[in-house]
Amino acid sequence: MTDPLVTVDDLEKYYYENDTLLDRLTGAEREAVRAVDGVSFEVREGETLGVVGESGCGKSTLAETLMRLREPTGGSVTFDGDPVFDLSGTDMNAFRRRAQVMFQDPFSSLDPRMTAGEIITEPLAIHGVGTSGERRERAETLLDEVGLSADQIDRYPHEFSGGQRQRIGFARALAIDPEFIVLDEPVSALDVSVQAQVLNLLADMQAERDLTYLFIAHDLSVVRHISDRVAVMYLGEIVEIGPTEEIFEDPKHPYTKALLESVPRADTDERDRTVETIRGDVPSPRNPPSGCSFRTRCPELIQPPGLDLPQATFRGISEFRTRIENGDIDVDLRWEQVGDPDREDREAFVDSLREEAFDTELPDAEEETVSEAIRALADGDRETAAATLRERYRSPCEAIDPGLPAGEHPSACLLNEQPEDVETAREEWEADYEAPEAGASSR
Amino acid sequence: MTDLLRVRDLSTRFFTEEGQINAVENVSFTVEAGSVLGVVGESGSGKSVTGLSLIDLVESPGKITSGEIWYNNADLAERVEGDRPEAVDGDFVDLRRLSEAERRSLRGSAFSMIFQDPMSSFNPSITVGEQIAEAAEVQRRASANPRSTRSRTQGYGLGQMLLDGVLPNRSYTSEESWDRAVELLERVGIPDPAERAEEYPHQFSGGMLQRAMIAQALAGDPDLLVADEPTTALDVTIQAQILDLLADLQETMEMSVVLITHNLGVIARVADRVSVMYAGEVVERGTLRDVFDDPVHPYTKGLLGSVPDIDQPGERLEPIAGNVPDLVDANMPDRCYFADRCPKAMTDCLTRPPEYEVSDGHRARCVLAEREYSEADAVPDERFARATDDGTAANDGSTAADGSIASDAEVSDD
Repeated sequence: MTDPLVTVDDLEKYYYENDTLLDRLTGAEREAVRAVDGVSFEVREGETLGVVGESGCGKSTLAETLMRLREPTGGSVTFDGDPVFDLSGTDMNAFRRRAQVMFQDPFSSLDPRMTAGEIITEPLAIHGVGTSGERRERAETLLDEVGLSADQIDRYPHEFSGGQRQRIGFARALAIDPEFIVLDEPVSALDVSVQAQVLNLLADMQAERDLTYLFIAHDLSVVRHISDRVAVMYLGEIVEIGPTEEIFEDPKHPYTKALLESVPRADTDERDRTVETIRGDVPSPRNPPSGCSFRTRCPELIQPPGLDLPQATFRGISEFRTRIENGDIDVDLRWEQVGDPDREDREAFVDSLREEAFDTELPDAEEETVSEAIRALADGDRETAAATLRERYRSPCEAIDPGLPAGEHPSACLLNEQPEDVETAREEWEADYEAPEAGASSR
Repeated sequence: MTDLLRVRDLSTRFFTEEGQINAVENVSFTVEAGSVLGVVGESGSGKSVTGLSLIDLVESPGKITSGEIWYNNADLAERVEGDRPEAVDGDFVDLRRLSEAERRSLRGSAFSMIFQDPMSSFNPSITVGEQIAEAAEVQRRASANPRSTRSRTQGYGLGQMLLDGVLPNRSYTSEESWDRAVELLERVGIPDPAERAEEYPHQFSGGMLQRAMIAQALAGDPDLLVADEPTTALDVTIQAQILDLLADLQETMEMSVVLITHNLGVIARVADRVSVMYAGEVVERGTLRDVFDDPVHPYTKGLLGSVPDIDQPGERLEPIAGNVPDLVDANMPDRCYFADRCPKAMTDCLTRPPEYEVSDGHRARCVLAEREYSEADAVPDERFARATDDGTAANDGSTAADGSIASDAEVSDD
């Protein structure tokens, strides 16, 4: 195994809201948006590590924080033995020469008032490399290398197409001969035919110059195509990391599985492939779920000891509980629909909501518990309704935050191997859990 | 299967300061009743304008300059026959020959459209329910008064305006339409629809809002839904949900869908027939199987070869060299538009190719449908070097890098 070039350890980047001076004076509690929430991994020399995830999962913030383009709120990054966040002066300059970034948007990442030559030579000028004549020569060579022509050196960005601009952005990143390049969605703004050109270029350059890439993308096909290893992010955390082959052929985390299944294949057999879509949306990083962050959408939610319902039933009840807890169910409106302004016929209320919330029969014991919860809701007692359901249907996934164990292909899911402290926490939780009698009054 | 829509030689042009832009050029295709037509192409290939042209939403400086859109609707045909016999052919009516008002009356009830970006398609200051109810209300008023094509704008005169000034909270929509909106929201899979209807667009996630937009489009129970990149702004897990929903709605409501996208995977997932667009033209069309398994046009092949395969990685991609042309009329060559990027360009390609029939229902605008590629007739690359200054030199740049690779690979295929 080759040595890690970059080691990221428990990196955190929180953005705070309600954090102005006035807020502090008035004592308002500041609210954290956990863009990157404790991420650890390493990038090995000469490899491409792909980072995938849906929008808002923190991939770009991760890239920017790792390059120290944003100040982290916790954790550390080591680049070839140097702690990146503690560097200053000439050491910092040296780091900046060895690590470069290429950005997503070919339209906003190039200064419209600079020519291609000026853009490419700017990093050289900043680091004081060569005379201006030499720098220009270097820019011409680079333009050739990235598949443009040297006589386009005096053109402005608007004279180039999107794919060509990405080539210029890449030439700029290559200008000072870096060892490590962070590629933040380098092809997502491009059409497929042009995207393929740029992907081939990236692969060629890596082979030629021994580059190490951190490749960020939301397109799984692209990531599989270019990466040696892949990290999957969800809500600011890495949920699974491992060699590309293993991630795609043998995904362990339910989120990775769902993600892979969701990608439509450009193939005539695609119509007949059954896709188990995962429900719901990504939760807000302002208010992430307790325990496992994927549990609100997970198709493999773990049931408490003693309970063995079909997954769909358990999920249905869990989702119903979430609706009650979030106050999504409008009790007044429901009474109105029942057509009972005096709110006397509780059973009609129960039937109405019960029917709307579950399209299938429930086992007797669950039917009883659910009805009891709805009865409490009918009286306007949301707390009791939620508590009734919580007591019987709480999952270890909501209590215990899974972690990434050591190893070549770890995943942060309680269904798989977990670090020792997580295993212990789970055992304690299970010992603590005592299933209440179905329908037993909680009061 | 009967046809719902037959489009013949449709052309849409934009008359801009930079010159005339041929966004859609002589496009022909058929939409069968109860099926999904996928329109695929890269940005700037004219696929969105084709969608807008279908429901007559092209705005100035754009204009539909020629073509016929035959719509299968016996009732409409009967109604129009008296006034305009030339616009009727059996059960089909040529929409291009109807009056502006008649076309407008079909929008929403016969044709409907959803767009790429749900966030910018909704009014941020009106509740989602109200916006859907509005669409339902328009249809309700129109069907209450079917003869009048003015009914949906009627009734908003000076008096109404003054009244709105005095009573700003007075709603345009009736309670009936509001209930319909809630019902539609439930139909598209939004939980707690009655509560969510009273929320504003910013309270919805992207996927939810896309569902709401679909609900709005369904308000008039349309025969045809034009979906322009409906999942492009969404994440893959949400995309899968929306595609499922569209397929389900299409089946249960027996509508036809024209699905416009650049994503070949999305096409493969839901489309029955496919039209591939390039530079404003349909270069190949046929069933999904025809186009994906037996593509004839080198552009279609190139497009399929450019997509990295998630199940079979590792192979080098075979991109198409060069860039999409800019569609300005003055710059468009009098030959096959794809010839200068084509690895198999021959002397035949120096004239504009007609649409050749490959097999029943499978057509391609390429001479390769008729004959084999022969190297003896190959056109040297220099032949395409153009005098125009801007786009061309730029094109050469990327050709230098990838053109040789792509063309080598293609030739050795034969």
